[in-house]
Amino acid sequence: MCDVASFNEQQLDAIREVGNIGTGNAATALSGLLSRMIHMDVPKTELVSIYELGGHYGDPMQVVGAVFVRSSGGFNCSLIFIQPEEDAQLMVELLLKQQFGTFIPYSEVPQDITDSALTEVGNIVLSSFLSSINMLLGTQYQISVPGVAHDMLSSILDVVASIYGQMGETALLVNTELKVEGLEEGRKISGHIILIPDPDALGILLRKLKVI
Amino acid sequence: MAENSIVLGMADLMVVPAPIKLITLGLGSCIGLVVYDSFAKVAGMAHIMLPDSRGLSAAEKVGKFADTAVPALIEEMLKKGATRPRIKAKIAGGAQMFSLPGASAEFLTVGAKNVNETKKRLARMGIALIASDTGGNKGRTIEFSTSNWMLKVKTLGKGISEI
Repeated sequence: MCDVASFNEQQLDAIREVGNIGTGNAATALSGLLSRMIHMDVPKTELVSIYELGGHYGDPMQVVGAVFVRSSGGFNCSLIFIQPEEDAQLMVELLLKQQFGTFIPYSEVPQDITDSALTEVGNIVLSSFLSSINMLLGTQYQISVPGVAHDMLSSILDVVASIYGQMGETALLVNTELKVEGLEEGRKISGHIILIPDPDALGILLRKLKVI
Repeated sequence: MAENSIVLGMADLMVVPAPIKLITLGLGSCIGLVVYDSFAKVAGMAHIMLPDSRGLSAAEKVGKFADTAVPALIEEMLKKGATRPRIKAKIAGGAQMFSLPGASAEFLTVGAKNVNETKKRLARMGIALIASDTGGNKGRTIEFSTSNWMLKVKTLGKGISEI
């Protein structure tokens, strides 16, 4: 087990590069799915106090749509694709319009269909992320069925606290923001991909990246 | 009379005299534990994150784990004038935000474990748990009023209930 607070710059940078490669691939997949350009921010490796997770990514009470997957194998981790609820709805509308050729407002589509669309986008984005980082690390992996939730940001991020809380007070997260470009004036679809390595997989990660 | 409000963050634990409103925002798998003595007019709240401290360092916040939060909260209540037979407890939270069919990860079911451990610790200390709103898959925001000793639970899409 590693104490994340003692990681040096070189190690954090190497981990960030993992995020860069993962998100690059995820952005390509999302771009193909939505037929839109995707703007990708520079990924950040973040050390966040587990007591302040709720406020770290925005207003803790903000309603978000989130897709979560668990990956096990050579490098165990969890991944979450998290969007402001309005952005998630707009993305689902865009996707359904591409599939069926006509625009249907989100509110008129049954929730099992919108959730299934949202889950599928999350699944494609997060699977692409995982496949590229496991290729980089040379590890085998399995990916879980995705879970979806619409809720307050701080309740969603409890999952991070439950992963990192047992071993300390700081979580190590790799966070990248994506934005869909070429939308109509005044519309926005953005999302964060957050990689949550298992605390006991951090040593493996550093060894694979040859920074330990 | 208007109540001042105090918002508790993750792992916070606090005992206050009436009239003060105790609030915790956006509980997912975490637990909001409320204890009160309506005769002594004191109440406490803890925002519990995990069931068991497993003997972790003493430097950790006591409110973080059910096994350390419950005794600490009761002790603080007694210091502020409550007596044990009069203390009543209410809890909310402990949801499972994501269910991944087939995935075996201990942390996904931490909400249910938080609920069980909190109940067990209360029972062990002889504290009556008189109301609870736990489990499910939705987050909760809670407000405890020390005017009427009711716990208001807000759930997205389901509205507000009082327990």
